[in-house]
Amino acid sequence: MEKILNKLLKVPYIVMALSIVISVIFLMKMMDNTRMETNLDKYMPEEHPAFIYSDQAEEWFNIKDGIIIAVENKKGIYNKETLDIVKALTKRFQKMPEIEKADVTSLYTADNIVGTEDGMDVKAFYKKTPKTAEKFEELRQKVKTNEMVYGRLVSTDESVTIIIAAINKDVFTQEFYNHILETADEFQTENVILHVAGRPIIEGTMALLGPADMKKMVPIVLLIIVFVLYFILRSIRSTILTMLVVLFSTLWAFGLMAVVNIPIYAVSTMIPVMLIAIGVADGIHLYSHLHLFMMENPAAKKKEAVMDMIKYMWSPVVMTSITTAVGFVSLLTSQVYPIKYFGLFTAFGVLTAMLFSLTIIPAGIMIFGLPKMKIKKEKENNHQFAFNFAEKVIKYRVASMIITVAIIVLSIVGISKVWINSSFLDKFEKDSDIVLTDQFINEHFGGTSTINLILDSDSNDAFKNPEVLRLVDKMQQDVVGNLAIAGNSFTLTDYVKRMNKVMNADDEAYNTIPDDSDLIAQYLLLYEMSGDPENLWKVVDYDYAKLNVNFQVKSDNSKAINSVLSEIESFEDDFAKLGVKMNYAGSGYKALIFTDLILEGQIMSLVLSLIIVIVLLGVMFKNIKLGFIGAVPIIITAIVSFGIMGWFDIALNTTTALLSSIAIGIGIDYAVHFIEQYKLNSTSGNKLLTAQKTMAHSGRAILFNAVVVIAGFLVLLFSVFPPNRELGTLVSLNMFLSFVGTVTIMLNLLYRFNIYFEKKNKGE
Amino acid sequence: MKNLKILSITLIIFLFANTSIFSQSVTGLQVVENVYNRPVGEDMTADLTMTLINSSGKERVRTIKQFSRDFGEIEKKIMFFVKPADVKNTSFMTWGYDEEGKDDDQWIYLPALKKTKRISSDSKSDYFMGSDFTYDDLGDRHPTQDTHTILREEELNGEACYVVESIPKDEDYMYSKTITWIIKDKWIGLKKDFYDEDEDLLKTLTVEKYEDIKGFLIISHTEMKNVQKNHKTIMELKNIEINTGISKSKFTERIMTRGI
Repeated sequence: MEKILNKLLKVPYIVMALSIVISVIFLMKMMDNTRMETNLDKYMPEEHPAFIYSDQAEEWFNIKDGIIIAVENKKGIYNKETLDIVKALTKRFQKMPEIEKADVTSLYTADNIVGTEDGMDVKAFYKKTPKTAEKFEELRQKVKTNEMVYGRLVSTDESVTIIIAAINKDVFTQEFYNHILETADEFQTENVILHVAGRPIIEGTMALLGPADMKKMVPIVLLIIVFVLYFILRSIRSTILTMLVVLFSTLWAFGLMAVVNIPIYAVSTMIPVMLIAIGVADGIHLYSHLHLFMMENPAAKKKEAVMDMIKYMWSPVVMTSITTAVGFVSLLTSQVYPIKYFGLFTAFGVLTAMLFSLTIIPAGIMIFGLPKMKIKKEKENNHQFAFNFAEKVIKYRVASMIITVAIIVLSIVGISKVWINSSFLDKFEKDSDIVLTDQFINEHFGGTSTINLILDSDSNDAFKNPEVLRLVDKMQQDVVGNLAIAGNSFTLTDYVKRMNKVMNADDEAYNTIPDDSDLIAQYLLLYEMSGDPENLWKVVDYDYAKLNVNFQVKSDNSKAINSVLSEIESFEDDFAKLGVKMNYAGSGYKALIFTDLILEGQIMSLVLSLIIVIVLLGVMFKNIKLGFIGAVPIIITAIVSFGIMGWFDIALNTTTALLSSIAIGIGIDYAVHFIEQYKLNSTSGNKLLTAQKTMAHSGRAILFNAVVVIAGFLVLLFSVFPPNRELGTLVSLNMFLSFVGTVTIMLNLLYRFNIYFEKKNKGE
Repeated sequence: MKNLKILSITLIIFLFANTSIFSQSVTGLQVVENVYNRPVGEDMTADLTMTLINSSGKERVRTIKQFSRDFGEIEKKIMFFVKPADVKNTSFMTWGYDEEGKDDDQWIYLPALKKTKRISSDSKSDYFMGSDFTYDDLGDRHPTQDTHTILREEELNGEACYVVESIPKDEDYMYSKTITWIIKDKWIGLKKDFYDEDEDLLKTLTVEKYEDIKGFLIISHTEMKNVQKNHKTIMELKNIEINTGISKSKFTERIMTRGI
């Protein structure tokens, strides 16, 4: 390895030119073949049983995500202006290619089934907007007495009515999102305010806001990193070369993705984050070594200096990179494809960063000369500080161990408080438009999120059986009655009860499930003949063997959804006795399962990679004890950062969970460089001096690395998009913890277990 | 007497057929009126089997015994469900009026409730019993409600047809247009394409079979396919009897409660 690298030193221009050419090729590939994957369904593992079932159920019952448009008029909705808007907007949505005509629900499209003295009336609430006050009052009464509409399509305070437009699968685009918002804007008047909400809108806003915010923040992050890097390296050339390592490795990773035709997923945006943290580290360690060599040999030629750097640094750089890459490859165990790709391409990026560190940086020095360094005073101060620090760390090792144990215990308590959140809405500011709109609709209606409970029976006509329908009805009432978060529910029972009431002259006493299954069948036949049968097939299948029960929930937060699920599941045994099984469907539920899967995979791969790292380090250092000691910074970083998330109520979601990977990447880097340096310095035979020297060399480089990355990522705290703020916080936190863990606890362990001194004491 | 009537009807058909053959300029309206006025007897008894097939290929089958009679200004129809068992003897009666703008009268009898109820519905575009047919599709629509144009003449299934485009005069009507293949000498609409408000093909009606019963051409097997929803309805009439002299008293609420 060293020989090859030294040979390359003779042809620095070729090395540089080749790197640039290949990077440019990858850049060009990226330009014409990169695409963002914005369809969230594509993120889901399709072969997972819960997803297979949900997808089927979505097909059976035409379950789609709906856009909700709330039409608000503070003076009430029963006037020409408001109802004209509802009608016009309904028609406009029905004509959009992304929406089926039958999938738009509003007061304009709804059927009003009412009982009369001698029969039954099926009429639209209105076709032409009423003109007289009496007609409006008549309409108002119609709505008020129809529980299938009142509180569902029209708020009970009569100031808001909603239009629900379910959109087809796989059609949601940025243009469509803009089109919806523009349409809403167009219809808005002085008196009538339109609010747009619903899952597609939240997803759309997120897809828009996150990257837009990143576009603004990333240049600042990079600028700060470059600036701090310059401040530390004191050389423009070194800064540029280090940043080239990061840039090229990122280009190669994304370029390769483009070449093998894998789209960019939301989690892929984490790849550059990882590569910045890791790529900068390699550069800093190399320059740090060079710096020390120059201090000791001020007269050395550039070639000598570079050869020395390669001689001592190639192995830690390769070791750190390989272990880090293996750590990321362990993400292949995840069931979620975007995560697998994330692991694979980050690993590839880490290895290319290694390659560039060992080629471009030496080549750059050969071409541009050694960085000019002010060596004089700095030396004393820095070394003295590092020496003192190392001495104190070792002196107070019992105290630091106790503190560490205390922090870990505290963190473990914190971890127990960590909760998983698959909510999209929680990613927005509490006072953002989208959250306020959602709240507004939740205050006036059942809820903006839907849970689809799918009841499944083996026997046909099960859901014409009064016993089964009564249990369904009881469950609906319990869930909605016991949980404030569950606004309302809707299924076949509501049709049956409505028909029973209507056929008994609108007598409220008949708002129940009748005893006779034939009567239920006849009611349903009647509904089919008089209402819109398409509506029935949204809640029950042709054979009446499967039922879709909709629950409207006022939050998409996982705690809320889980509380509804557990209330529902308290009926599982009762349903089982009737031969009915429970399942779920819909995007809210899928998001919940998806988040669980990611976490499960993440924790699995964290454990797996930890084991791999311990073994690899053990093999590399030819001492299994060192494997365990080297894993300490990772373990501390992971435990404490999860603990802090628990204490500070940062929920685990796809982004925050992935960040624990950085603990592995950075933790290994720090540990390996530190141990390798400790090993080199141990030749002095003095344990304390070894620790001190290592602190002055590796400790310093580690500190610099941490400072550069932390400074850069702290910029994200000023982001307007909360997930980006969390990202900034957690990356900084991980860097800081890895640093502290390495230079305190790990050093103490090296010292305590006489690493590299045991044999010498015995042997010499 | 009856024979005379049939004879005169046959004669009328013959005359109509002749005029259209000989006249160079038969209009679209005339063609459609011929179809509308094609005699189908004064009364009919039949067993209707309606099969609904949804997009995932699931089927629901209903069998209905139906009686209908034309009383000139009023057409009365009564239907008894035979299958499925849980709706057996549920009956449904409609009185349709020729008078323009007058809504049908409809009654339903639910045996499990033992009550006859009047149903009023304000929409002709409602689907008939959850099928792909609207009441209008079943033949109630008067020719004067649309503007008809003969697009061309062509053969379909070996029959010479007029291809007539019909555009509703009411702009808010559920279809933007329909195109019908009408057999020249028989005045049977053999195939009909329905276009939705956006002028996209919505449904296709095909006549699979028509029979000559007592000299009347009766369509006995049709299929309506909704191409947008991939949903299909098959209607088959069996045991068709024409002009058996169903009495006026057959079409009352009392009969509805009696069952078959």
